[in-house]
Amino acid sequence: MKTLYWIGGIAAAGLLVGSGVRLLAHSDAQAAPAAAAPAPHAAAPGAPLAGAVPAVTARADAGSTVPGVAAATNGQYQVGDQLKQSPAVTDKPYQASGKMVNGYQEIAWEALIPKDWDPMAPFKGLKLDQLTDDDPRADAALWKAKKYWKDAPVDASMEGKPVRLPGFVVSLDREGEALKEFLLVPYFGACIHVPPPPANQIIHVRSAKAVKNVRTMDAVWISGVLKVERSDSSMGASSYSMKAVSVEPYTAPDNG
Amino acid sequence: MKILLRLAARSAWNRRFTLGLMLVAIALSTTMLLGIERVRHEVRAGFSQSVSGTDLVVGARTSPIQLMLYAIFRIGGATNNMGWDSAQALARNPAVAWTIPISLGDSHRGFPVLATNGDYFTHFRYGSNQPLRLAQGHPMAGVFDAVLGADVADKLHYRLGDIIILSHGMGGMSLTQHADKPFRVVGILARTGTPVDRTVHIGLDGMQAIHLDWEGGAPLPGVHIPAEFVKKFNLTPTSITAVLVGLKSRARVFALQREIADGQGYKEPLMAVLPGVALDQLWDVVGIGENALLVVSGMVVVVGLAGLVAAILASLGERRRELAILRSVGARPLDVLLLLCIEGLGVMLAGVASGLLLLSLLVWTLGPLLAEQFGIALQPAWPAAGELQLLLWTILAGLVASLLPALRAYRLSLSDGLTPRI
Repeated sequence: MKTLYWIGGIAAAGLLVGSGVRLLAHSDAQAAPAAAAPAPHAAAPGAPLAGAVPAVTARADAGSTVPGVAAATNGQYQVGDQLKQSPAVTDKPYQASGKMVNGYQEIAWEALIPKDWDPMAPFKGLKLDQLTDDDPRADAALWKAKKYWKDAPVDASMEGKPVRLPGFVVSLDREGEALKEFLLVPYFGACIHVPPPPANQIIHVRSAKAVKNVRTMDAVWISGVLKVERSDSSMGASSYSMKAVSVEPYTAPDNG
Repeated sequence: MKILLRLAARSAWNRRFTLGLMLVAIALSTTMLLGIERVRHEVRAGFSQSVSGTDLVVGARTSPIQLMLYAIFRIGGATNNMGWDSAQALARNPAVAWTIPISLGDSHRGFPVLATNGDYFTHFRYGSNQPLRLAQGHPMAGVFDAVLGADVADKLHYRLGDIIILSHGMGGMSLTQHADKPFRVVGILARTGTPVDRTVHIGLDGMQAIHLDWEGGAPLPGVHIPAEFVKKFNLTPTSITAVLVGLKSRARVFALQREIADGQGYKEPLMAVLPGVALDQLWDVVGIGENALLVVSGMVVVVGLAGLVAAILASLGERRRELAILRSVGARPLDVLLLLCIEGLGVMLAGVASGLLLLSLLVWTLGPLLAEQFGIALQPAWPAAGELQLLLWTILAGLVASLLPALRAYRLSLSDGLTPRI
């Protein structure tokens, strides 16, 4: 009996301290459990997966398989995955859900591309079906197109819009351990594994107050007022920036 | 309740030696747990303070973490240099707002020497976008001018106008010196709390000049170019270690990074690193070791707790009479349970409090030494949120642990303590 008490007590104390330590260690990678959260939602009925068309880069190679929304059942993101937004957004990828959260309208990343911008413009007047693979004109057109997509313009009408959208963080400047400035990109691994997203798919975020426990490639929801940063034409496209009023760990939206 | 508290205090005072020892054990384990947590925190904060506003660090291809380590934190050595013309091509890129070329490799009495140009003093930022500030003097103007970081000046007692001699290569006791071409201190930087404090800054032309008569990695015997003649030579650097790049628009950072990685327009393969991303990668690597340390210090706390439980359990034997008398004058079993819980919690609280005190004392006395030796600036401070969480868990664990002997005492019958054992 006595020994049982002993063993039980020591084990309990060990467990307590152990979980304390683990809790602390996890508070760092706090977004990791948050990232795992969307899994059940992704599998929820009525959430179509094929609906989302990832932006410009994917649309460019029409015909190839379009990577879907982060439908990962294991909760792990794959390179090229997009975060699932409200079903309304994923159903009709080119329309914002219009859902207001604390006065910020939820938008899709596609809303940042000007409506009148045509990704296929560089191929105009080119009879693609008559060109062979090794035609120098095809090669030249592809180079032209790549440059055209890279310098995709921003939508000036987005200026001053209070918006809310999910994305992945790329750390820029920190204040102590907290993050003050970062880039928000639409794909997991956007900066490393695949060619970078065009300028209109990157938002330069300055957070109103420094956010703790966020690291590169953590998924977050941000809310703030969009600003269009103009730049001279010699350095390419203008870009978006935002003073974020709230940065929260990403959670899949409920089916409402 | 009040009576119980007094009883517990008196009883504990009676056994102060054993409990005192337990208190020391808990205090020490708390100090260790908190100390590791705090050092971890400070190291991270210190690293992210070291660079601010720099969008890309460009250098020869190596590991992104290593490039950051030597270019920004002066830890480890450069594996490869990049050509000066690549640096200039980079500076001409329309997306680039400013560049700071840096060249590393030499040292002065253990302090790294960094060769750069005037852009360093105008564009380099640390902390929350703070510029470098000269406490005395002015930036480098002549070939043999040097600007010292605050720590270098303090530790070696240098003042403006002093003559310093640089050593070839790194290391505190370098035997190969550039004694023929001494440098003059023209400026001393204000303290920043970053690796800049431990750096001796010279001009890129100065770096080139001291290596003029070096061929094949050693000074050529018989060839000596006196300092006053170096201006006759071309002092444009042929290679540098890295370039810090600031962009006009931060959102363009991926485009330029990809351009540099693709190597279009550059003579050699180069690599561009986002400092923030590289640091996050570094923490991923270091995090494993940190967690191991935390687990070990957590174990130490568990050992301390086990000791506490053992001490209280053992004391039950000697306290049989005491507890029985308490029962016989009207204490309920619950009172006895509370009495022991109070004792455990009291020792725990006192232990954690003295652990905190001990840590503050250690930081206060050893902090300057730590800052000097390892560049970790520890300040006595109130425990941060993470530390408080750790403390709370420790105390909670102590409470649960002390429940064990308390439950045992609760179950002991009145007659047990009063009946002498045969």
